[in-house]
Amino acid sequence: MPEAMLPTEVVLGAWVAAGLTLFIYSFLYKDNPLFKLGEHLYVGISVGYSVVLAWHTVFLRLLWEPLQKAVGEAPASPDSYVLLIPATLGVFMLTRFIPQISWLSRIAFAFVVGFGSGVAIPRTISSYILKQIEDTVNPLLTMGAGGLTMGFDLAAPQSGVNTIILLVGVVSVLFYFFFSVEHTGAGMVTARTGIYFLMIAFGAAFGYTVMSRMSLLIGRFRDLITFAGAAYGYATLVLLAVTVLSLVGWELATRRKTGGASPE
Amino acid sequence: MIFLKRQLPLAITFVMGIAFTFQYYIPHPVSEDAITNVSKWMQIISGFALFLGLASLFHVHAVKITRQVPGWGFSLALYVAMIGTIVIGFWSHGETKVDGGQTAFGWLYDYTMVPLQGTMFSILAFFIASAAYRAFRARSREASVLLVAAVVVMMGRVPLGQFLLPWTWDVTQWLLNVLNSAVRRAILIGVSMGAVALSLKIILGIERSYLGGGRDQ
Amino acid sequence: MKDFARRMVGIDRRIIFLLITAAILLPMLKPFGLPIKVSPEVKAVYDYIEAMPERSVFLLSFDFDPSSKPELEPQAVALLRHAFRKNLRVIGMTHWLTGTGLADGVFSAVAAETGKERGKDYAFLGWSPGGGALIISMGQDLYKAFPSDYSKTPTQGMPVLEGVRNLRDVNYMVSLAAGGSGIEMWYVFGKDKYRFEMAGGSTGVIAPGLYPFLRSGQINGLIGGLQGAAEYETLIGQKGMATAGMDAQSAAHFVIIALVLLCNVFYFMLRGEQGRPR
Repeated sequence: MPEAMLPTEVVLGAWVAAGLTLFIYSFLYKDNPLFKLGEHLYVGISVGYSVVLAWHTVFLRLLWEPLQKAVGEAPASPDSYVLLIPATLGVFMLTRFIPQISWLSRIAFAFVVGFGSGVAIPRTISSYILKQIEDTVNPLLTMGAGGLTMGFDLAAPQSGVNTIILLVGVVSVLFYFFFSVEHTGAGMVTARTGIYFLMIAFGAAFGYTVMSRMSLLIGRFRDLITFAGAAYGYATLVLLAVTVLSLVGWELATRRKTGGASPE
Repeated sequence: MIFLKRQLPLAITFVMGIAFTFQYYIPHPVSEDAITNVSKWMQIISGFALFLGLASLFHVHAVKITRQVPGWGFSLALYVAMIGTIVIGFWSHGETKVDGGQTAFGWLYDYTMVPLQGTMFSILAFFIASAAYRAFRARSREASVLLVAAVVVMMGRVPLGQFLLPWTWDVTQWLLNVLNSAVRRAILIGVSMGAVALSLKIILGIERSYLGGGRDQ
Repeated sequence: MKDFARRMVGIDRRIIFLLITAAILLPMLKPFGLPIKVSPEVKAVYDYIEAMPERSVFLLSFDFDPSSKPELEPQAVALLRHAFRKNLRVIGMTHWLTGTGLADGVFSAVAAETGKERGKDYAFLGWSPGGGALIISMGQDLYKAFPSDYSKTPTQGMPVLEGVRNLRDVNYMVSLAAGGSGIEMWYVFGKDKYRFEMAGGSTGVIAPGLYPFLRSGQINGLIGGLQGAAEYETLIGQKGMATAGMDAQSAAHFVIIALVLLCNVFYFMLRGEQGRPR
């Protein structure tokens, strides 16, 4: 059965996306103008997108429209104009570019940083310190039908034995980081234990980072495979050939210019 | 003038900091109204702050173009891409879809920004593989522990590893839930205590770097 | 032997790049489809959504951008399919400006697939700046934080938001996060005060750092990376992008493990030669 024709903009999009993807991957050969072009286009488009979205969200949706509505409903009420306060502070923030009045931006920063610090203190203490300590000092024994028992099941994260291991880990890592006294005797044992805990966590982090990076590659390859299909005019394959030929041409041209030395 | 430039910002930080620290513990309607309004204001001010960051990027590349430093052509490409996106974005009224159909702005996002950003980050996969081959050596007992943990997690987190060595799944689960949690928790507690101390220093005017440099500091 | 080891240690990195390319590409072209095992932390998210009554309010925050699309988009799709199947009212939003179009695309696609209607069954509020301040603002008054949705429809009076005044009226929320402005931020500025139940979906890079929150019950479940997404797809019985990618993931991991082992074999072969090998 013949494949359904895709809309022109989709096919064109596939060619653009495949081309840009291959431009970026050309860096794997070495740094080259195709990669640099892709990289700069990425920054330019991202900034452009951010400007457009920020304008529509911040100025129109959060500021202008609510202000217009409030003033329209109650023009005499001072409450209708309350959004002019953050607008003024926002404009103050932008004065950082004008040296003569850049001090105004300090008022805006003071407002933001003061609020940020104020809301952060109680919430950080509650969420990151108290809650975390609370779970570190869990009871080891539980009252069951057969009286007091302690769980020795390693597979159960909350078991008694795991609670002890966790406590040892937290204390030894904190000790390793925070006590800058010379690590001798019991102190050395604690600090060494902390180091081994850290190494295991770093190993797990490495494993997960590999997993994450490979997933990203799988995602991009999925698109390239899709765009290599007949429905997209074999975009990936054609553009791969174009990219390789461009790199060969660039390499030859640069070698000629530098008298045989490879451009690096 | 010195008051406006120096004391006033410090006073504002102090008042805002103290007020919103205690606000958390005082759920009175007045205090709730205050946080409702001020958090909304913060959204708006943060939006302006975003423009501050973007504007400095405009400036960096504009300088490169006007001075024609090596590679200025790429900065020009960046400017063309940026201005092109802004024009198309405003022409599409900032919408990526209208009545289920894609706008030009949406097309630009889907077929240029998404693949470019995705590919830029995916390229790290190759470098992590190269680094694993060149640098991941069991030089010491600690490095060996790290290496074994990494290999077990890499096995235990994919179906082929779980199929060939089923125990790696259980060990990975234990490792993440207990050993890894202990370390992350210790770091979290330590960093949070530092963050609280920094916030206090800001509120009390001891830490002032956020105000920027200059003679009036 | 030592010469061979020395040559292998100094191998051109582009050969390693080709190995990785082959490891990913071949299983994608010819999958072998191994079964996916489900972890308790992913099952916890599934079970919670499964137990929610119809028309409960589910908030899904897309706290990522295209750089993490391959890991978090499959999670978003699987969660949305499950939520729509359970007839939940879904509210979507993002803290990451550059992820807005992506989030809107996922919502539109899954809603179209399941026959759900914007404004009635779901709302996509879009992006708004502020981070923690935005969450506080939503916790105080959702309509002040988002006066209109992404498609510029006023949020006030939207059928999907009936009875929802602020975050206290949210029954469950999941933040799909690629960095600090995600799960932790939602807990610290949201759940800590407004007391809704929440879980996290994250990239592999940040997943290990979230386990302390899982242990302490601050989040009730965690979907980590592409593997987590594949587990969720298995649970809802609808295989998707994540399951399809797991064979390539397996092969890539095995190539990395092989590279690490080879590196150490050569290292031990060369040890003792001029003190230490390079």
